[in-house]
Amino acid sequence: MRSTRLLMFIAVAAVAAVFLFPLYVAVLMALKSAKQTFDSFYALPPSLDLANFIHAWDTSKYPTAFLNSVIITALSVLLILIISALSGYAIARGNKPLYNFFFLLFLSGMMVPFQVTMLPLYQLGKSLDMLNNYWGIVVIYGGFGVQSGVLFFTGFVRGISREIEEAARIDGCSTPGIFIRIVMPLLKPVTATVLVLNALYIWNDFLLPLLYLQNKDFRTIPLQQYFFFGQYSSDLNLAFAYAVMGLIPIIVFFLFMQRFIIKGIAAGAIKG
Amino acid sequence: MKGLKKTIRREMWYVLFLVPGVLLFTFAVIVPFVTGIRYSFTNWDGISRKLTYIGWDNYVNALQDADLWTVLGNTFKYAIILTLLVNLVALLFALLLDSYLPLRNLFRTIFFLPSVISVILAGFIWSYNYSQGFPRLLAHLGMDVTSPLGNPDQALYGLIIIAVWQGIGAPMIIYIAGLQGIPAELSESARIDGAGPLRVFRNVTLPLLAPSVTINMLLVLTGSLKVFDLVLVTTNGGPGFATEVISTFIYKNAFSSFKAGYGMALSMIFFVILVIVTVVQVTIFRKREVEM
Repeated sequence: MRSTRLLMFIAVAAVAAVFLFPLYVAVLMALKSAKQTFDSFYALPPSLDLANFIHAWDTSKYPTAFLNSVIITALSVLLILIISALSGYAIARGNKPLYNFFFLLFLSGMMVPFQVTMLPLYQLGKSLDMLNNYWGIVVIYGGFGVQSGVLFFTGFVRGISREIEEAARIDGCSTPGIFIRIVMPLLKPVTATVLVLNALYIWNDFLLPLLYLQNKDFRTIPLQQYFFFGQYSSDLNLAFAYAVMGLIPIIVFFLFMQRFIIKGIAAGAIKG
Repeated sequence: MKGLKKTIRREMWYVLFLVPGVLLFTFAVIVPFVTGIRYSFTNWDGISRKLTYIGWDNYVNALQDADLWTVLGNTFKYAIILTLLVNLVALLFALLLDSYLPLRNLFRTIFFLPSVISVILAGFIWSYNYSQGFPRLLAHLGMDVTSPLGNPDQALYGLIIIAVWQGIGAPMIIYIAGLQGIPAELSESARIDGAGPLRVFRNVTLPLLAPSVTINMLLVLTGSLKVFDLVLVTTNGGPGFATEVISTFIYKNAFSSFKAGYGMALSMIFFVILVIVTVVQVTIFRKREVEM
């Protein structure tokens, strides 16, 4: 029994090493010069040399892309949370055929693949001056995210007892007052779920930025990276330094939010 | 009278709460969807101002387009193999991580890590690993390999491997959650009754895990039928036509071939296929869940 356990541990560790290998190669490339890579591919660099990173930082507009990603992700997630919580609460408490209709509408919207709407979305964006600015893409992310967001919030609010709300109403509290003072503090767990799932998706999204943010000043990290790789395909060590710079924020976010991400995914599966 | 007034006021607030969400959803999904349907009945090129309605011509042409069938073949091959592989590996990992393995939280983090990386980065890193990293490593073992992405017979499998690497995370978490929901007494008593680990798994664990299997199969299958960025950044449909999938095919038709109307018709066909796949899959799995 002991030996099988040890064998199992070794097997899992080996698979984990295979999983990390591509990332190891990426970091290795980023830390070495082209000559060092040519001389010995797998060896660690003789000394820690951040020349590639400095060069990549100077040539790539990384701070702009990073800031764009942060602003777009934060604003979109905030918008999604607000409108999903409001709509979800209304659907859960209104409880009339009208609200059920909208619930089903949101649900069936999730079936529409992006490929169907992308060209009309681009046309719409162009005619309404939504390309190459923050608000345009944020509004579209809001409309996308509200579909699953409503699902989460409706389900969660239905699980909260109405008694406190009824008591507050008898005491003369209005609907917005009840929502802000009583319901909102209870929504923390579901808010965390919707937040992390949407943040990961929007941060890494490539398709919508590709359509909406072609202008250099508004590109997000994935989009900027797409263009950077195309431009510096001959200087791979530089390109990898840029790739690693793109990895760092999302890996830090993941390591800090891991608990919420894992809970969110497990909760999402039950709702789905 | 006063009560009625209060109810109406409350209802008004609910409607008001609902409005922003419905508005944005209409704007970002419904309006483009309806516009897309309209375009699909025209010969619009994507740029000019004039639209000519041509009835069902785009749909008729699409169904007679040999390329569409090749592309659908590629897409389904990719999606089905990927769905089976991801679920198999994710379930295996979940079983291992649910047991009393030392460092299992670290392993869970490592297996999940690739899922949070953008597809652009993953595609770039893997393209290089395929062309340089792995061949050099395997050369030490005396094997001579070239990048699968450059070989028409292997390219699709090369993409599947990247997608497995990136796709294990969420299904694995869902399986772990499912496993933790199974009461320990059940497998315990089966073991006491003399069932081996394999029988316990087949007759106790797997049936109770059925809802997780359903959701994972559905999520991975519909997700992989829509694959786009991975193909775009690694092979762009090549070599030849070997990895052209429905999404990249639609994208190229809609944006770069001046056949927007045709591209929209393709996308509507794709939408119908997705709905059928989802409905069929949910029906099959739900039925089996009840039986078990």
